[in-house]
Amino acid sequence: MSVFPQLGPGGFSQFPVTKRRRTRTVVNPAVDGTSIKLADPAGGSLEWRLEYRGLSDAELDNLQQFFSDMEGSLNGFTFLDPCGNLLAWSEELNNAVWHADPLLALTGGVTDAMGGSNGWHAVNSGGGPQSMIQTLNAPGGYIYCFSVYGQAAQATTISLLAGSQSVNRTVDTGWSRLSFAVVSDPTATSIAFGVQIPAGGAVDLFGPQVEAQPAASVYKTGTTGGVYEGARFQDDTITYTTTDVNRHSTTVNIFYADDL
Amino acid sequence: MATFPALKTKAVAQYPASKAIRFQNQVLRFVDGVEQRYRDSAGPLHRWLIALNELDESELAALEDFFATNEGQFESFSFTDPWDGQTYTNCSLAADEMDMIATGEMRAKTSLTVTENRG
Repeated sequence: MSVFPQLGPGGFSQFPVTKRRRTRTVVNPAVDGTSIKLADPAGGSLEWRLEYRGLSDAELDNLQQFFSDMEGSLNGFTFLDPCGNLLAWSEELNNAVWHADPLLALTGGVTDAMGGSNGWHAVNSGGGPQSMIQTLNAPGGYIYCFSVYGQAAQATTISLLAGSQSVNRTVDTGWSRLSFAVVSDPTATSIAFGVQIPAGGAVDLFGPQVEAQPAASVYKTGTTGGVYEGARFQDDTITYTTTDVNRHSTTVNIFYADDL
Repeated sequence: MATFPALKTKAVAQYPASKAIRFQNQVLRFVDGVEQRYRDSAGPLHRWLIALNELDESELAALEDFFATNEGQFESFSFTDPWDGQTYTNCSLAADEMDMIATGEMRAKTSLTVTENRG
């Protein structure tokens, strides 16, 4: 599936970004003031309004070409939420979306870096390194930044994983944020992010986050994830204004519906 | 039961905040001009407009996650009235739509309306 292009320096959007989330609930109000509600989980949708300023010729060409390839609103593409955490269930590391190696024990309820209790204690009781990953159906060839908060009773070196690449980072006493920016394999159709803990290691983890940009931004909790396959342009027209040499502005509206 | 998320400051709302109290009364007007009024509900229902500005991405994400988890107006949750601290255990969001605008880094805004449910 085609993928919405990143801008030159990485990232998908500029400020301001407007996002609208819709759900669908059928409500049957009764005379006594009560109501019967029925949720329609498949009836949700998302919209983004991306306003670009100061685009270079190359960036505008890239965007225009992509719009033409999609034939406006006709064809779907993969869109990575510029406002959210691409990882799903970022505070439930025992959720099925996470794959933990068998000898890695995870215990929740640890006081986290934000003062809540959403941290996790990870203990590797095995004789070799054990990892915990989440695989995203995100495009290859993009810049991603994986970040996670970590702390340990004694300094421990863990590996941050991003596809086939990894980097060692030291987890100290007290929460610190570890990050790893990569350009993913251009031929990959998915990419796994996670941490690898050495044999006998024990660390606290909180707030894993993946963003399609070169550096980590403020941690954002999320259950839904931020990879949307089958998103579309909302309009059949793209209008742009050239404000100077090699400077252009335009606005695009992206639409994603669960049932499309 | 879920609870409406607080900001990092532990506050639920910012100024300007709006609150409405709604009764449901019926009026019968007779030919001679007199009226008879009666209560058509068990008591008042409350409604709060929570307009939030200058949110950071983390706070906005927590609110969006709350909206998604509640499936808009479908699920009920507990809400503590920021005016008097009273907790209303059966509340829900009033709409199936949430708009979020990020105007800059750590400068986002959104608004949600919380409504008290009957029963």
